[in-house]
Amino acid sequence: MGVATDTETVCHVPVAEGKSVQQTVDIVHKKLEQLGAVKHGSFCVDCETYHATGNASGQPSKLLYVMHNSETPLSCMALFEGGPCLIADANFDVLMVKLKSHFQNAKGHKVECRGSRYRYCDFLIKVGTVTMSSSARGISVEVEYCPCIVPGDCWNLMKEFMLSFLGTNVPELPSVFAAKPEGLFAPADCVDTMTQYLELFNKLRKLQISGSNVR
Amino acid sequence: MSSGPAVRVSIESSCEKQVQEVSLDGTETYVPPLSMSQNLAKLAQRIDFSQGSDSEDDGAEGEPRDREWGKQETEEEEGTLKFQPSLWPWDSVRNNLRSALTEMCVLYDVLSVVKEKKYMALDPVSQDPTRVLCALQTPQVFQLISKKKSLATAAQLLLKGAEKLSKSVAENQENRRQRDFNSELLRLRSQWKLRKVGDKILGDLSYRSAGSLFPHHGTFEVIKNTDIDLDKKTPEDYCPLNVQIPSDLEGSAYIKVSIQKQAPDIGDLGTISLFRRPQKNKVGTQPWHVKLEAAQNVLLCKEIFAQLSREAVQIKSQIPHIVVKNQIISQPFPGLQLSISLCHSTGEKKPSRTSPDKPKPDDHLYVLEHNLHQMIREFHKQQLSSVVMPHPASAPFGHKRLRLAGPLAYDKAEICSLQQSEGLLEKIIKQAKHIFLRSRTARTIDSLASRIEDPQIQAHWSNINDVYESSVKVLITSQGYEQICKSIQLQLNIGVEQIRVVHRDGRVITLSHQEQELQDFLLSQVPKQKPGNHFYQINTVSASSINNRDVWIELLVLQKKLLLNICLYGTDL
Repeated sequence: MGVATDTETVCHVPVAEGKSVQQTVDIVHKKLEQLGAVKHGSFCVDCETYHATGNASGQPSKLLYVMHNSETPLSCMALFEGGPCLIADANFDVLMVKLKSHFQNAKGHKVECRGSRYRYCDFLIKVGTVTMSSSARGISVEVEYCPCIVPGDCWNLMKEFMLSFLGTNVPELPSVFAAKPEGLFAPADCVDTMTQYLELFNKLRKLQISGSNVR
Repeated sequence: MSSGPAVRVSIESSCEKQVQEVSLDGTETYVPPLSMSQNLAKLAQRIDFSQGSDSEDDGAEGEPRDREWGKQETEEEEGTLKFQPSLWPWDSVRNNLRSALTEMCVLYDVLSVVKEKKYMALDPVSQDPTRVLCALQTPQVFQLISKKKSLATAAQLLLKGAEKLSKSVAENQENRRQRDFNSELLRLRSQWKLRKVGDKILGDLSYRSAGSLFPHHGTFEVIKNTDIDLDKKTPEDYCPLNVQIPSDLEGSAYIKVSIQKQAPDIGDLGTISLFRRPQKNKVGTQPWHVKLEAAQNVLLCKEIFAQLSREAVQIKSQIPHIVVKNQIISQPFPGLQLSISLCHSTGEKKPSRTSPDKPKPDDHLYVLEHNLHQMIREFHKQQLSSVVMPHPASAPFGHKRLRLAGPLAYDKAEICSLQQSEGLLEKIIKQAKHIFLRSRTARTIDSLASRIEDPQIQAHWSNINDVYESSVKVLITSQGYEQICKSIQLQLNIGVEQIRVVHRDGRVITLSHQEQELQDFLLSQVPKQKPGNHFYQINTVSASSINNRDVWIELLVLQKKLLLNICLYGTDL
């Protein structure tokens, strides 16, 4: 049974000009359905931010991100940006409540990404709306190629596939995969997926969406 | 002896004399030693002739018999004697001997006088007048007999007493065994779980300790049976304790599984409740045991039915299951109805009232009922299996592997594969489908075999089957040519919904559950028969099994027909 994860790429689709977030999502959906993908349920990825207290003053307090993914419903991922990552049982949330004195929840910073899943042969595509405090901030598209776990081997295939429905918004090889040692067997992990989502969320947090596009 | 001066050796006794005085000039004066007679006298004086009877401390003589006579004189003599302590060393000896002589003389005189019987006579000591009569018997024998008699009387008394005692003890034990509440309670406790709450004794007859999750409490109460009339004789089946079971577990229950043709009217549903006659109790079982076992059975049947009805409602299937009152109806195959009902009779109504006028032929599928019981017990065991228990306090109940699901980030597919997918209802429906398909296949084959006389259809059913799969080997042979005509052998694997046929020549055909399909297929395998044409059968045999030259020639003659037949059979399915 081993832990066989698949290669997943998360990319950010910028909102089309003159359209709202929802409309852009619908456009992507339509493209996928035209391609022949079949809707296969929904997904949800969320992220909570915790401040580490008790640091010496002057140093910026480290932020701990606790993320959940509906693909792994019984797990909970905790990571520092660029730092170590922990995959834990769902009881980890309860543990964080107990560690209130050391990690304070930044309640306004909760980010969620919800959407629907599409299945196209060996690909799983998840198109989601990123919301922060109930305001839509952007769109995320996650493409998963199920058979392969080594990202270097299938990146080209995935890029080609993304080209077919995303058009010109295809991203480059994500940094998590680029950082993997060349030549050695370095399988993709759910940690990589979560890191990519975290990067996306942080990017969207910084990005200021102009008022006309937010609906 | 030899030469040399003779040495004279003189022996003399050591001169150990007492020194009387030592003079001034050193000469010692010894005490003259005692002469022989003096020595003898000294020793004689030390002899005590009369020991204990009189005292010789002061050297006085004493005669016990003549004490009154010479007392005064001896006192005087004692006084005089005190002044002269030892007259003569042999004095005491002489006196003792003298007194002994006196006594002897007296005795002699008495005896001689008695012998004459003139002046003195010997008379025995006066005895009990009653005993004088038995003077002939020696007293010892008489004593023996009397002692024996008295002992015998005593022994009889004791024996009687002992017998009475043992009888009473045995009776007591018997009574206690039957009447004692505590001993009965001990027996109850050896078979059922009891606990004391306040001053009540409660018991647990649920399967919770065996792994059940049914929310029924299953508590029964033990009460003392005090309605005994001590004057009357206790009845045979008297039991000192009674158990009070919860009111909803009274009576007896069983699960009835049956397959019927579809009921035309939906109003018929929910009315099946056949009463099974009560079991005869084994001799020696206590009434409380029977009661408790029946209640436990009712509880188990309720649990089974609750689980089935819960699944019937939750699980989505193409044809929804109907749950009506105490019945669950589902359709395994179109036109067929599987009904699982909980028949619970409280035992108050008379059996004749509830059973219908004529007993319907029961399609009681006992196998499925038994399987239901087994499956629920398996479910219980899984709750307590070593795979599940012991488990960390923070982990939920479930398979051990699931605890790793979190840290190893299992996705949904992996989680589903670990969890049980099928519920009780699905399993029992699959089993019912299989049983039905198997019985119908058997019926089809048998009907064909009886209808078609030549060639013969044989069916060999495998002994070892699964709940979901059975197999049968069908042979179509001609009489007398069984060894040659081995070509038509079909292995039928009867599954849950389909029948898979494996032909001897390697073809695999899947038939659906339709009866007609199987019949058509088997008929196609049977070569067509024309009357009078004996060789026709051999024509259908595969060429490889024929090595008889004569038969080959005949085949060639009928070659055209042979080819025609092969064409016909080649187009089937």
